[in-house]
Amino acid sequence: MSKLLNKPLKAFAIYALLVLACSIPVYYLIVDYIWRNELDEYNQIVRRRIETGLNKLNLNETDWNKTITLWNQTQPGTTIARSPADKPLPDSTYTVMRQDPMHTTEDLERFRGLSAYILIKGKPYHLNVEINVEEAHETVFAIAAVTFVFFIILLAGFVLLNRNIASKIWKPFHSTLDRLKSFDLNSHKNIDLEKSEIEEFEQLNEVLRQLIEKNISVFRQQKEFTENASHELQTPLAVLKSKIDLLMQNETLTEEQSELIASLNLPISRVSRINKNLLLLAKIENQQFAEDEKIDMSELLQQNLEFLEEHLVARNNTVETEIHSDISIRANKSLVEIMLVNLLLNAIRHNPVDGLIKIELTNSRLIISNTGEVALNPQTLFKRFIASSTSTPSSGLGLAIVHEIGNRYGWKVSYTFQEGFHQFSVQF
Amino acid sequence: MKILIIEDEKELAGNIAAYLSDENYLCEFAETFQQAIEKVGAYNYDCILLDLMLPGGDGLRILETLKKENKQDGVIIISAKDSLQDKIAGLQIGADDYLAKPFHLSELAARIYSVIRRKQFGNSNIIRLNELQIDLLAKTVHINQEPVLLTKKEFDLLLLFIGNKNRVLSKSALAEHLSGDIADMLDNHDFVYAHIKNMKKKLVDAGYQNYLKTIYGTGYKWEA
Repeated sequence: MSKLLNKPLKAFAIYALLVLACSIPVYYLIVDYIWRNELDEYNQIVRRRIETGLNKLNLNETDWNKTITLWNQTQPGTTIARSPADKPLPDSTYTVMRQDPMHTTEDLERFRGLSAYILIKGKPYHLNVEINVEEAHETVFAIAAVTFVFFIILLAGFVLLNRNIASKIWKPFHSTLDRLKSFDLNSHKNIDLEKSEIEEFEQLNEVLRQLIEKNISVFRQQKEFTENASHELQTPLAVLKSKIDLLMQNETLTEEQSELIASLNLPISRVSRINKNLLLLAKIENQQFAEDEKIDMSELLQQNLEFLEEHLVARNNTVETEIHSDISIRANKSLVEIMLVNLLLNAIRHNPVDGLIKIELTNSRLIISNTGEVALNPQTLFKRFIASSTSTPSSGLGLAIVHEIGNRYGWKVSYTFQEGFHQFSVQF
Repeated sequence: MKILIIEDEKELAGNIAAYLSDENYLCEFAETFQQAIEKVGAYNYDCILLDLMLPGGDGLRILETLKKENKQDGVIIISAKDSLQDKIAGLQIGADDYLAKPFHLSELAARIYSVIRRKQFGNSNIIRLNELQIDLLAKTVHINQEPVLLTKKEFDLLLLFIGNKNRVLSKSALAEHLSGDIADMLDNHDFVYAHIKNMKKKLVDAGYQNYLKTIYGTGYKWEA
């Protein structure tokens, strides 16, 4: 994943590189053209100066010839010779590559030359003026070097500007992002998004505000619904339960009637339990257990085990424990306790008389196993209202709650059947 | 003893009153927030049973009013809301106890008994019943001045019976009293027998007459 601003930066850099690369030959052609024109003009000036200078001399034939010879020896770059033609021919310019006679190096140099015909005292002479021109590859190299330097400056500028823009212009965006990250639907507090000068960000914020407001309202409705539904159910149950308690006080009841009445308590308790568990599941799903604290798992497990001890004794169950001390985790204490009790009760309830229960708590996991005969279906075991056994009544939600609590904290809750034991494990 | 039942469900309020009527308790009713505020302001009660979700307002406001006026009435919240938050909120404002619906009437009666005793006797809270003497604060039992060592659960059971004299208590009510929230997850309530058997044996050994009767198929009754 790359940052949004880096995408155009790359495109800009490539575009700038292309334009600058194309500019190199163009610059070269223009510089070379101007240079040649200037040198041609300069050669013309030299030619006029020589023509005027020589015409001013008053020499006889012998001295004149000596002067011409001497000139040709002492003035490199210019040569004067008698023209074979009677009349001056038109001037011409040329470019030539050859060794510089002034230098000892063998490198070829580029020269711009003027081949002109001048009249000295009425006689036509051929004058050749040459001047050194920078070679093409040297010019191209110089231009390319300068262009490259500018490209580097341009690129550095892009990167710096980009950073500057990113930190300034994107500030409201990052502020919005940070606030969204820290937003907790559970807190029921609307978030306060920073006002932005940039239209797009302000639009985004506005849409987010509406979305969050709607979410909070839906969440509140849902929460209220589960709570109200629970209340509405618990109240008639309370009436029913109190009626049974009253009815039991009746002294004219026969033993059979009393037994019937007393037996009503169990299904009522179960309906109430299912009701409570559904509410609990909704609350876990809605993340309404926010406050996490450090929990001493070893101690909590021991406490619950002591609390349930009598039920183990009643069924003549043996318990083997391997509980490491000082194992602590961060979670909501009520939820962890519910998880422990559900797992322990599950093991106690489904354990046969004289069975064995094994409890193991280490740093990384909790394993609770009980004696069993046939493996249960691990696919449906943690699903809601899918009873794995018909022998004992249950709310059908105990393991679903354990699973949900595991999900809440990212713990892996799993079931395996090993060597005659149902084994439930929670990996922290 | 005057008790105010603030509860919008008439049937439930009526059942509570019927259960308590034999015990020398005089029950009054309030069905709405307004009625409750008026009664609480005008009279003093030994114990107030307070439902939180009332037509016309939140029951916790009534509790706040009571505390603001520095009234000494004992308050037991009876609510369908069974979350730790609600419990903590209620007890912090100053309720004496919190009981989640649905509950057994025997459980409620025992708690009313306990709240009233605490309000009336404060630091020297000792129940004397024939040859039995129970110190509620020290949680000790004496019979004919001789100490009887009961376990915590046996002591809790004894208090439940004392708070429900001459009432038939179901095994279900006893199990809930002992194991709280998880009682309904236990398939059989046989463990109740064990505790009662042990408690009875200890009391009888110490020279107590057998007040505790077994009602076959149903539960137990403390006759006094």
